[in-house]
Amino acid sequence: MTNHQPVSIIMVEDDEGHARLIEKNIRRAGITNGIRHFRDGTSALEYLHEAPDGPTHNGPALILLDLNLPDMSGIDILSRIKAAGNPLKRTPVVVLTTTDDKIEIQRCYELGCNVYITKPVNYESFADAIRQLGLFLSVIQVPDRAEADG
Amino acid sequence: MVRLSLKNIAVPDAWFNRLVIGAVALGFLALLATGLAAYHSVQENQFHSSRANHALLVERAITDFLAAMDRAEAGRRGYLLTGVAAHAETYHDARKHLFPLLARVRDLTRDNPQEQANVARLIALTQSDLPFMDQSIALVRSGQRDEGVRLFRNSVGRRAITVLRAQAAVMIDEENRLLAIRDAATSESIRLFYATVAAAGTILVLVGVGSIWVILGYTRSLAASRDALRLLNADLEGAVRERTADLQRANDEIQRFAYIVSHDLRSPLVNVMGFTAELEGATRKLRTMMDRVDQETPGLVDEDARIAAREDLPEAIRFIRTSTEKMDRLINAILRLSREGRRQITPETLDMNALLLSIGDAHRHQLDEKEIDFSIASKLPTIIGDRLAIEQILSNLVENAIKYMAPGRRGRIEIRGRIENQRAIFEIADNGRGIDPRDHERIFDLFRRAGVQDQLGEGIGLAHTRALAYRLGGTISVDSELGRGATFRINLPLACTAEQGA
Repeated sequence: MTNHQPVSIIMVEDDEGHARLIEKNIRRAGITNGIRHFRDGTSALEYLHEAPDGPTHNGPALILLDLNLPDMSGIDILSRIKAAGNPLKRTPVVVLTTTDDKIEIQRCYELGCNVYITKPVNYESFADAIRQLGLFLSVIQVPDRAEADG
Repeated sequence: MVRLSLKNIAVPDAWFNRLVIGAVALGFLALLATGLAAYHSVQENQFHSSRANHALLVERAITDFLAAMDRAEAGRRGYLLTGVAAHAETYHDARKHLFPLLARVRDLTRDNPQEQANVARLIALTQSDLPFMDQSIALVRSGQRDEGVRLFRNSVGRRAITVLRAQAAVMIDEENRLLAIRDAATSESIRLFYATVAAAGTILVLVGVGSIWVILGYTRSLAASRDALRLLNADLEGAVRERTADLQRANDEIQRFAYIVSHDLRSPLVNVMGFTAELEGATRKLRTMMDRVDQETPGLVDEDARIAAREDLPEAIRFIRTSTEKMDRLINAILRLSREGRRQITPETLDMNALLLSIGDAHRHQLDEKEIDFSIASKLPTIIGDRLAIEQILSNLVENAIKYMAPGRRGRIEIRGRIENQRAIFEIADNGRGIDPRDHERIFDLFRRAGVQDQLGEGIGLAHTRALAYRLGGTISVDSELGRGATFRINLPLACTAEQGA
């Protein structure tokens, strides 16, 4: 299948500061893919499923998901994306959140989260983690929609 | 919830005791009265019977006298008619009994003046009659039979006999009257005896029935109070369960609250630290740039700008960093506490001696280094509990004991255990620097510490320990005085159930 379209990064993060720091560090890692930032779950879900330039209708994507959102829990978004029959089912989801509760982590993986990263408070570790995520993003193979659909 | 007061189950003890004692005393009194009455009436009876017998004896003696008199008279008449010597024999034989018999009657009736008078008359009559009779016998024997018969015909002899009989009859009547009176007295005493026995019996029956009734009532009220007590007990258990559930809910809420708050605090902290780092990076760049400007066009950068870039900014950033790092540690501590509170409790049987030995071994290095004697009492109670939680509690207390030893004396840590009221109590006693009694509550609060702050720590250990103890359905307390060591006491249920930690 065709994989020439660039993978777009969709970041669901309510904290403007965190979003900015994440973006900065992804850029510092040399990743140039487009990053769309959503500050709440509703608009993020709408974009994911409905927008003509969104991943359902257009091109492969990778989702960076925070669990603490104002309007819904990131876990809701995760379970909706990973639900049977969802065209985005195979889209990689990286949960990037402050929560390091074992039960929460376990639940995310059970729901189909691909990577779970705890935001370290220590900035060096945080930047390090994001840069490593960037490296990971540069090598990751993302299935496009047609494959995901099949 | 039904609230039962102890008043409902109190038994009227004093009242009941008095009643029972009264009833028993009454019963004994009735028995005693019956015994006395029986004794008295038997005595009466005996007395009256003997008196009646006496009357009969008197009668008999009188009758004997009369019979002897009759025989004497019969003998005399036979002799007068026939002259046969045998009749004279009969007369003499009967005659010699007459006075002894009269004497007997007199003796017997000595207590009765009337009868004495009668007897005296009888004796007088006999004494006056007998000479005639003797004379008639003597006349026949001497051949003067006709003279004898004439004497017999003389009315004096016959009248004497008749008077004598009448006199005897008067006596017998008197004795019969006495007999009747004495018989009546005997029956009266017997009747009295029966009446007494009947009265005593009635009282006994009444007392018995009354006692049984009271005892039944008492037993019923005892049973009722036992039931009430049982109900109260069951209710108490229910109340305790309810209360425990309430506490559990409150605890869960606090745990959730702590969890959410610490998480939400973490988010801005990530920003503060992140942008502080960014600021630092930018400051570095500014400094480099300023150095270059200074080199290329000296004098362009003024002193204020230089101080700001070289000293003020790094200092501010340093303070922000240390503060945020401290805040991060505190938030992490709260998170750890709340996470520990949410951990599933898995009860298992714990050999506390083995567990404490392993804790001792884990701290062996520090114990040896500080030369502390560490002793564990033999046979600590075995309990069913969560191994991890109990290990953490004890380990924390042992660690504290090691940490806060008093300088200048050989350290000692003793671990004791006992069972009290279905609870296991463990004591970790040390001879360390001790804790001011004013701080005994405070040290269990989060982030609070006591005494000289010469040891590392955030003030989390004991708060954590207490949270764990509560979680297991236990409590923790401390006994201590400054400079006199401290004894931490953990009170745990013998068996902690999984639901207690749910």
